[in-house]
Amino acid sequence: MNRKTKKTVYKAVKETIFYLFVTGLIGAMLLPVYFIISLSFLSTREAYRYPLPLVPALQTKFEMTHGERGYLLSVYDRVEKDYQTVLDTSELEKMEVYIKSQLGTSISQEEIQAEMDRLDDSGEDSIFFTKPRNLLYNYDTFFKVTRDAVPALIRSLEIAALTILISITIGGLAGYAFARYIFKGKDALKFSVLFVRMFPGVAIALPMVIILAKANLYDEPLGLSLIYSVGAIGLTIWITASIFMGIPESLEQAAQVFGATKFQAFMRITFPLALPGLAASAMYTFLGAWNETVGAIILTQFKPTFSVVVYQTLLGASGQVNLAAAGGIAMALPAVFFTFFIRRYINQMWGGVTV
Amino acid sequence: MAATKPKSLRKKLEKATPYLLVLPVVAYYAIFWLRPVIAVVIGSLTDANGALTLHNFAMVLNDEKFWPAFNNTAIIVVASVTIEFIGALFLALLINRKFFGSSIFLFLTLIPMALPAVATGAMWITGFTAHGWLNSLLYYLGFLAEGDKIYWLGGLEANTFKLLVLVILVDAWQVIPSMMIILLAGLQNLPEETKEAGYVFGGNYMTVLRKITMPMLRPTIQTAVILRLISAIQIWLIIVLLLGFGRLPVLVERIVYYHEEVPGLDISYQMSAGYTIIVSVIVSLTALVYLRASGAFKKEEAA
Amino acid sequence: MATLEILNVTKRFGRKVIAVDDISLEVHDQEFLVLLGPSGCGKTTTMRMVAGLEEVTEGTILIDGVDVTDLPPRKRNISMVFQNYAIWPHMTVFENIAYALRLKHMAKSEIDRIVREVAGMTNIGEYLERLPAQLSGGQQQRVAVARAIAVSPKVFLMDEPLSNLDAKLRVSMRTELKAIHASAKATTVFVTHDQSEAMSIADRIVIMRDGKIIQTGTPEEVYEKSANLFVADFIGTPPTNFFDVTLQKSNGTLHLVNPHFDLSLDAANTARLNGYNKEQLVLGVRPENIVLTSEKDSIMGMTALVVEPQGSHQVIAFKMDEKMVKVVAPSQPKPDMGSTIHLNFSQGTLRFFDPETTFAIGD
Ligand SMILES: Nc1ncnc2c1ncn2[C@@H]1O[C@H](COP(=O)(O)OP(=O)(O)OP(=O)(O)O)[C@@H](O)[C@H]1O
Ligand SMILES: [Mg+2]
Repeated sequence: MNRKTKKTVYKAVKETIFYLFVTGLIGAMLLPVYFIISLSFLSTREAYRYPLPLVPALQTKFEMTHGERGYLLSVYDRVEKDYQTVLDTSELEKMEVYIKSQLGTSISQEEIQAEMDRLDDSGEDSIFFTKPRNLLYNYDTFFKVTRDAVPALIRSLEIAALTILISITIGGLAGYAFARYIFKGKDALKFSVLFVRMFPGVAIALPMVIILAKANLYDEPLGLSLIYSVGAIGLTIWITASIFMGIPESLEQAAQVFGATKFQAFMRITFPLALPGLAASAMYTFLGAWNETVGAIILTQFKPTFSVVVYQTLLGASGQVNLAAAGGIAMALPAVFFTFFIRRYINQMWGGVTV
Repeated sequence: MAATKPKSLRKKLEKATPYLLVLPVVAYYAIFWLRPVIAVVIGSLTDANGALTLHNFAMVLNDEKFWPAFNNTAIIVVASVTIEFIGALFLALLINRKFFGSSIFLFLTLIPMALPAVATGAMWITGFTAHGWLNSLLYYLGFLAEGDKIYWLGGLEANTFKLLVLVILVDAWQVIPSMMIILLAGLQNLPEETKEAGYVFGGNYMTVLRKITMPMLRPTIQTAVILRLISAIQIWLIIVLLLGFGRLPVLVERIVYYHEEVPGLDISYQMSAGYTIIVSVIVSLTALVYLRASGAFKKEEAA
Repeated sequence: MATLEILNVTKRFGRKVIAVDDISLEVHDQEFLVLLGPSGCGKTTTMRMVAGLEEVTEGTILIDGVDVTDLPPRKRNISMVFQNYAIWPHMTVFENIAYALRLKHMAKSEIDRIVREVAGMTNIGEYLERLPAQLSGGQQQRVAVARAIAVSPKVFLMDEPLSNLDAKLRVSMRTELKAIHASAKATTVFVTHDQSEAMSIADRIVIMRDGKIIQTGTPEEVYEKSANLFVADFIGTPPTNFFDVTLQKSNGTLHLVNPHFDLSLDAANTARLNGYNKEQLVLGVRPENIVLTSEKDSIMGMTALVVEPQGSHQVIAFKMDEKMVKVVAPSQPKPDMGSTIHLNFSQGTLRFFDPETTFAIGD
């Protein structure tokens, strides 16, 4: 080998090792996420099997024989690698409900009837058939069965939007002042972000029950977003200050020299330039408000947020892990979606302000 | 010299602009932060009849779970802030190498940050149960014999140390990304030339990291660590989701415990208020000590 | 068009920093005035006060006789080329130029006409639809100029508009700016810290230092009649040579004596120093006013250390008491490096400075 090929080979090996390492790292990090996703697609029966199947099945294999009370239904168990009897009945409806809810498989009564007829006509001991899984069954059920899931989802969106509105306007004004002016108490403003966080958030929520009740805002989306904004405003100040610091003041001043008022200059120059960063900041606020659970548990009663509904599915009496997983994933989707955009703006968001 | 003229209204307004811009925040904090804080402070200083007393704090200090909660919190804070900082810095340095696909890698590492607490709760609960995915995975990988199970959160061998380790790891998993983005932003905003100059003058990766990158990154590190420190002391939700109340007591868990779990007792409110004040004092003192020790204040005095 | 008057203006930042210290200045109609001074002397601050971007601590600013001290920038009828251009990155070149016109509620066709006209003047007509990021530094700079002249302001402010350009572009833009000024005839204040730029472009130069105005005059005046040691040193490349000398009187003529030379002054120069009665003096001689002569006409013989031919002329340097002295001489005859050169001063151009006050004497 001459030196050049040696070098290329060395480089290729190095790159391969690097990418193997990176892939391994991210794989290990996201392994738990994989399992929760996988769990959200498992049938109820499989969700409680041990060891847990590694991937959701795409179809269910059945065996049908004659039983004592009617037809004996067995399903293929991926853990035992054998058919296991699950039901002995002649009632079509009972069988349909079981297959749908416990096995997460789509089937109609006509189809069941057809299989029964086939068994009777064949004269054999047993027949086998396969039906496709309804992979979205858990999601479907979560939203249908869980009382409130859809209204709670809408409420959560409303709360997140209000929180964004409050914290971006109030925090954004202060962030702008921080980026553009020298004034007394500027450091105090900076440290207030830390200061507000030093008092446990739950402990604020508790007395707020009374304060909100007095204002008729208890159990109302607006009330919750007012509380969420306390935490959100602080980081919004830091983030928006960073964003405005990244836009040269002279751009705005140039507009003023050329005839714009201070306000016009802001609206026409600084604001459009800041917009992508502000959107990222809003998404960041969204994550906080959307994911918040404890405050919501304390401050809601009949109008829970989506996070509270998921929480109850997880820990409440009706708890079912695969449903909770589906709820959790449904809840995570918008947050993950926004994160995809936020990642481009972390430099602007965190570049300017440090303690 | 020209005599100073009376200031026009415009000038006055201009002077007041920053204060006007900050006013809404101040008002907001006063209503929605200071008011509840004062309510809690008063609660912590009065007994059930409303008389002034310091007895509540004595009660808290004599609570049989206070010192265990204090110790657990301290251990978690020290261990998790250290682990999370190292992990976050490692990831940030890796992503800052800007390899092909690093942007997607960044997105993937941010996912734990985006997941709601309930989703991560569900994730770890289903993972740590005896027949959960963690044991299943170990079984498939051949680390667990058939029929063997590890009782992660329960069983005979569930001592506090094991639970602490699990909690710290689970917390780190979720928190590293939010710390990482701050460090990454700091790294990416460092002028590239400073590092290049380090290489030109004979540094290798480690010396440039130690002598140039890290010192320049210091304000960013301080920011990331102080934010994390403040929230690490207030850890509780993931613990309660995994273990319920009382099994691994921590300070903020006690606040919620007294207020939400045993609200009937006559001392519940006083206990939870007392705990709250003690936690806030601990957080403020820790933050102050950290900022002082890390030199965040010195820099300002010099400026 | 317009005049600009700055009357006793002071600017303080906080209590300690005095950025501009009681300056007064009048810019005539259609004049091209250059503010010149070293970094940090308060040039930008002065400009920003004229523009209304910085509050005046004390004093008054008049444009066309109207007190604008307390007016916001938009009511001052000025325009400005910013040091870093400050062209708006999210607007096309056309929009950048048109924005100010739109704020004046001009008709669309009128805006279009003006934009094309100024774009033509600044040679950016073909880039009107581009975004600033797609332009080179020099093109961006011309957008900034075009934007500034489009509004036909009363006063035109330019803060080091050429400082970010490479040497060649800088010289050509300098000429272009001068041409634009000649046709637009706007009263202009131009800031620079580059003295050769100032000399080549200015109708009048104002030299600032530490927030104060040191001298105001035409380029010729500040060059030939520098008001003090600082100006004499700051203006001109190579700068003025300074010699510490003692004044001696013998048989009615004044001698300037130094260990290396004994210069007897002619009658005119003697008269200039009539009122001066200190013994020490700083003699300032421009490099082109030190002449190579024959040995018998010279007052000193020195060793030529460096000889730099420049084509049209040559620069010869020699050392006197550890200080470099530079001579600008015709390109012939060319002395060898290391050889002895014989020198004299041309009497008509000598400058005298008081070493204690640093001010020029005998003007
Ligand atoms: N906002 C400010 N706060 C405090 N001091 C300032 C401020 N702006 C300027 N200064 C100080 O005022 C003095 C004059 O500054 P100015 O910007 O006017 O200088 P300049 O002549 O334009 O310099 P340069 O040639 O470097 O641009 C400097 O000493 C500077 O440090
Ligand atoms: Mg300047």
